[in-house]
Amino acid sequence: MTDRIARELSLPAPPADVWDAVTDPDLLQQWLADEVILDLRPGGDAWFRVGEDTRSGWVEEVSPPGGEPGSVEGRLVFWWAEGDEPASRVELAIAPLEDGGTRLRVSEARPLDVLDLVGIPLSGAGGSRLGPALVAA
Amino acid sequence: MFGALADATRRRLLTEISAQPSTATELAGELPISRQAVVKHLSALADAGLLERERAGREVRYHVTPAPLSDAVSWMADVGSQWDDRLAALSRTVSRGRPRSA
Repeated sequence: MTDRIARELSLPAPPADVWDAVTDPDLLQQWLADEVILDLRPGGDAWFRVGEDTRSGWVEEVSPPGGEPGSVEGRLVFWWAEGDEPASRVELAIAPLEDGGTRLRVSEARPLDVLDLVGIPLSGAGGSRLGPALVAA
Repeated sequence: MFGALADATRRRLLTEISAQPSTATELAGELPISRQAVVKHLSALADAGLLERERAGREVRYHVTPAPLSDAVSWMADVGSQWDDRLAALSRTVSRGRPRSA
C-alpha cells in the first residue's frame, strides 16, 4: 500500500485565479493555514501555522499554469513536516478546463514512498535540512 | 494467514463467529464435525491472528479479531480528511471572486 492520498476537484475560476489562491499567502490563509510564509522558488522556505501547530518545510517546484485548455499544467510542490514527524510531499496541479474553469489535483505522500522513488533516505527533522539540497541539485 | 482460510470448514467457522462470538461446543452443534475437529480449526485460525480467545467460564469463546487499523491507513484517513476540509475552504475562497482582476 502506498502512503498517499489524492483528491481532484473542478473550480469555477480560471487557472490564474486558482494559482493565486494556492500561492498568495493572504489567500492561502483563507483555506490552508492561519499563517503562511512561502518563498516561491525551488528550495525556498515554507512555514505554516494552524492554531497552535506549526509546520515547516521547503518548496520543490513552482510552475505557473498556462491559460488555455491543453496548455501546460501548473504545479506547486512543497514539503512540510510537523515537529519531528517525517516530512510529506504536497503536490498541487492546476489545469485549465474547456469551460474556462480549472481542474485542481492534490496529492500528499509520505516520505518513505517518495524517497524510495528517488533513492535518498530522509526522515524526521533531518528532512527539512536535506530537502533544499535535494531540489537545488 | 491465507493458509488458515484455505479450508472450507475454517471459512464457515469464521463466518459463524463473525455473526456471533461462539465457543467450540456451540460451533460443533452447528456443524457436522466433532468438537475436537472444531477446536483444531479454531486454533489454526487463532494462530493466524484471525480469531481472539476470551475465557467464558470453563470454555473459551472465540471472536473475530478487529481489523488492525494500520499506521498507513490511519495516516491516509487523517490526511485525506484534512484535505477535504481544506479544499472545501479553497472552493469558497475561489468562488468569492477573482483576487487579481476584481
